[in-house]
Amino acid sequence: MEYILIIIGAVLVNNFVLVKFLGICPFLGVSKSTENSLGMGFAVIFVMSLASLITFIIYHAVLVPLDLIYLKTIVFILVIASLVQIVEMAIKKFSPSLYAALGVYLPLITTNCAVLGVALLNVDGGVALPIDNVLKAFINGAASGVGFTVAIVLLSAIRERLARADVPVCFRGFPITLVAASIMAMAFAAFSGMIS
Amino acid sequence: MDITAVLSASLLLLALGALFSALIGFLSTKFTVERDSRLDEIESLLSGANCGTCGYAGCQAFAEAVYQGKAKVTDCPSTSPNNKRRINEIMGINESVGEKTYAIVHCNGGNACRDKYDYQGYGDCRTAEMLAGGRKKCYTGCIGLATCVDKCPYFAIEVGENGYAEVKRPSCTSCGLCISNCPKSIIGRIRASARVYCACSNHNKGKEVRDVCPKGCIACGVCAKVCPEGAITMVDNLPLFDYDKCTACMLCVEKCPTKVIKEIKD
Repeated sequence: MEYILIIIGAVLVNNFVLVKFLGICPFLGVSKSTENSLGMGFAVIFVMSLASLITFIIYHAVLVPLDLIYLKTIVFILVIASLVQIVEMAIKKFSPSLYAALGVYLPLITTNCAVLGVALLNVDGGVALPIDNVLKAFINGAASGVGFTVAIVLLSAIRERLARADVPVCFRGFPITLVAASIMAMAFAAFSGMIS
Repeated sequence: MDITAVLSASLLLLALGALFSALIGFLSTKFTVERDSRLDEIESLLSGANCGTCGYAGCQAFAEAVYQGKAKVTDCPSTSPNNKRRINEIMGINESVGEKTYAIVHCNGGNACRDKYDYQGYGDCRTAEMLAGGRKKCYTGCIGLATCVDKCPYFAIEVGENGYAEVKRPSCTSCGLCISNCPKSIIGRIRASARVYCACSNHNKGKEVRDVCPKGCIACGVCAKVCPEGAITMVDNLPLFDYDKCTACMLCVEKCPTKVIKEIKD
């Protein structure tokens, strides 16, 4: 039950993009077509789950015993950046087709604040439910990535329609996209309070 | 201050950094993907402007397209012919790459051209163009608000004190961004070997041109008459040069009454 609550909480209630407003840059930058945003979404799921797994382990195995909790931000950045690099190299070697699909987006996520955010919130207890073991951290990371994917795919579908709509000149491009994103955020705000 | 805390913190970061860099270094040798060295060579021979005129995302993407045979090197306007020839050699393609060209501004009105209104405030040529077709009375007069200057990735065009845009030859690669962004469409390409050009784009008759700009071409046709090679024809009230015939005798430059035909000096 707890795991299901974590998943629902991360995907809908505390959606990273639309409720916490993290990772807005790729959310607006890569949402022009559904195909690309799906690629980005899967890359984010991938990196977020791996990052929350590794950072959780490092936090509890290294930082807490050494009493260096205040270093968590810089350590997590280091870990995530190296991790993405390694993963990128591995994908390039073993699955060129996956690399071609994710390739552009993987380096983009290296310093994404949503990835750092999920790692920090996992250990800070900033999530609605206490994250007290590695599996929960991993699930929370993956579900947060799914939440990001849901948000970006929805927005890309809206933007594909907007591209054909007769938008007033002053609203064309990013202004109308931001309006759409804010309405989406209001819709997601309806979930707030479901899990306290 | 507790020195051990400082030491342990920096040692931890050092250790983590060393660990990860060693890991990445090791894995990068292990996971290297063989890349055809020709691809790197092609990329290094391209102009590197990432101007996007070829229709690809950048010079790297274009290099890959050339390598895969999806694109021709001539699709890139900004790489020099020498480098294009070398890329064709690398790829084993036997094709002409064309003569080097430069961008050129067909207007020398600027401050001399009369104003329709006084334009103050924010904007560039394109916004000025929306306001009754720009501030100049001449419908092809250079507005001088430097849209081309903003667009040029090489800083190869500038609006001088005369008030019209001029191309600086050494830096220009003929990528065409100024050409496609000029709202007046008065920038064009010209062969590097061409020695004369007409610095006016106004197709109106002499009197109408004279009314708006003292420097414009009045379509008198003297240049066409004096040219010993017959390289100039008057088309729609402007001289048209046939550079295959031109011998750079400069007679047209001398005889032009408004001095709108100019010699090109490198």
